Amino acid sequence: MALTKEEAIARARKDLVGRIGVTDITEAAVEDVEFPDMALGAAGKGEMSGQMITPGWRIRLSANGQSFEYRANKHQVRLYNYQGSNHRIQ
Amino acid sequence: MNRNNFLPHVALAAVLILVAAFAGQIRQWQKHWGTHRRRPARMRPYTAPDRSEEQRTFANRELLVRFKAGTPSATIQAIVSRLHDRVEDEIESVSGLEVIEDENGKDIDEVVAEYNRLPEVEYAERVYEIKADHAGGGYKHVHPNDQRFGEQWALENDGSNGGKAGADISAMRAWAITKGSDKVVVAVLDSGVDYTHPDLVNNIWKRPENIKAYEDRDLGEIDDVHGFSAIDNTGDPMDDNGHGTHCAGIIGAEGGNGEGIAGVNWTVQIMPLKFMDASGSGTTKDAIEAINYVINRKQAGVNVRIISASWGSTQKSRALEDTIRKAYDAGILFVAASGNSSADTDQNPHYPSSYNVGNVISVAALDSNDQLAKFSNYGAKTVHIAAPGVDILSTWLDNEFKLAGGTSMATPMVAGVAALVLSKNPTMSVDQLRKHLLESVDKVPALKGKVVSGGRINAAKAVGLN
Repeated sequence: MALTKEEAIARARKDLVGRIGVTDITEAAVEDVEFPDMALGAAGKGEMSGQMITPGWRIRLSANGQSFEYRANKHQVRLYNYQGSNHRIQ
Repeated sequence: MNRNNFLPHVALAAVLILVAAFAGQIRQWQKHWGTHRRRPARMRPYTAPDRSEEQRTFANRELLVRFKAGTPSATIQAIVSRLHDRVEDEIESVSGLEVIEDENGKDIDEVVAEYNRLPEVEYAERVYEIKADHAGGGYKHVHPNDQRFGEQWALENDGSNGGKAGADISAMRAWAITKGSDKVVVAVLDSGVDYTHPDLVNNIWKRPENIKAYEDRDLGEIDDVHGFSAIDNTGDPMDDNGHGTHCAGIIGAEGGNGEGIAGVNWTVQIMPLKFMDASGSGTTKDAIEAINYVINRKQAGVNVRIISASWGSTQKSRALEDTIRKAYDAGILFVAASGNSSADTDQNPHYPSSYNVGNVISVAALDSNDQLAKFSNYGAKTVHIAAPGVDILSTWLDNEFKLAGGTSMATPMVAGVAALVLSKNPTMSVDQLRKHLLESVDKVPALKGKVVSGGRINAAKAVGLN
């Protein structure tokens, strides 16, 4: 089912809570952007993606003084460059 | 007047009158003895619908109808009158072929369909206009009647909407030579293809009865009616994303059918393959499985000559490279997207487009002004050619059409032109085909030092026009 922007933000927050164990998360910025490919410029290991410009949302969350970048569109949510790699949440 | 001059003047006037009358008769005889028994068309006002100038050239009221052998002339006349039309001309060299003019202003495609439903009719089709090239090069070009052709700047860029006239792949000139062939199979290795889309359905590959179903040592027999899905190892490569359907339409949306768009090939066989999921991503393993399938089908006798691969990543896989090399050994061209990171792939490779294998063509994207698209990768040594890849209209899920951009869209332009070339030169080897495509480009200043060939693919040159 297609995700809305709000649902994507909620999933990103939930993922971050589970990942770092902190509930005090701030939504620093949410932008509409065009990603370079269908993995939202955040391909995982061994992953190939369609090379079509893909609209979506860049969701920046802050917690514990750190910044975390999630990328999402109606199909998926990804955590970008977390500890050196990308993670597909959904 | 001098009476002495009167008789000579009368005689001169009589001679002039006779000459004029004789000349008029000659013209009448010429009309009568012409190659066609043309019936003079009645002049009547015609208001063109609100379409682009090029489409307007197709908004005529004529159609070509061939009646079955032995249909009496009186029957033809009766049918034509009943449908409120008029026989405009009879083509003597083809028995039963008539030029018919619609008299009551119905949609011309409906009129064509009406005739095609009649038992007395062998076929009916609308009139396609072939006219001299804008550039005056002495070549013909062919306008398709597809409704949204005017939005396909990549095939014919007339400079409107901020584009640059001529910054296109010269498809209309190429179509005067070939519109493709159903003997050529192009594998679209992607998120699958909506093989029921009305603008694709007639150009979808169907496994011939004489080719056995796909059999994999581990997967067993798979009934590959329309291709293969490596995601669930079935013979159902239905697209649930749209990306593969878009790429397929660029290569081979049915042309000249009065609806949607025209593919680079009006006629071709698209072999749908699915290895990317609904989000548009897939694994190297599934890509390898799908390429393996294509090689198997080639070896089984399917004339699959091209794989169109509008995907990639920066991660190198030796297994994927080896599989693409096997495709090369099997005589299959592998056309790949150069990637959308605005990167120089000589320094930062993108795969599979950067594999140094003899069948790989890496494709960059151009905008409608012949500029490298701002997102497109490039590489003086590793990107070979460019093609339009911004605001490209093509087929999408749910019988729709959509604008999309990326080297994903440029790739099937090149794969499509490769298929056009093979329709004309079916015995060309993969090495010859690749070399020929790279040598058939239009040199584009913005590509100098950016891609190996320095140019944009040109379908007309590729099929043999200068």
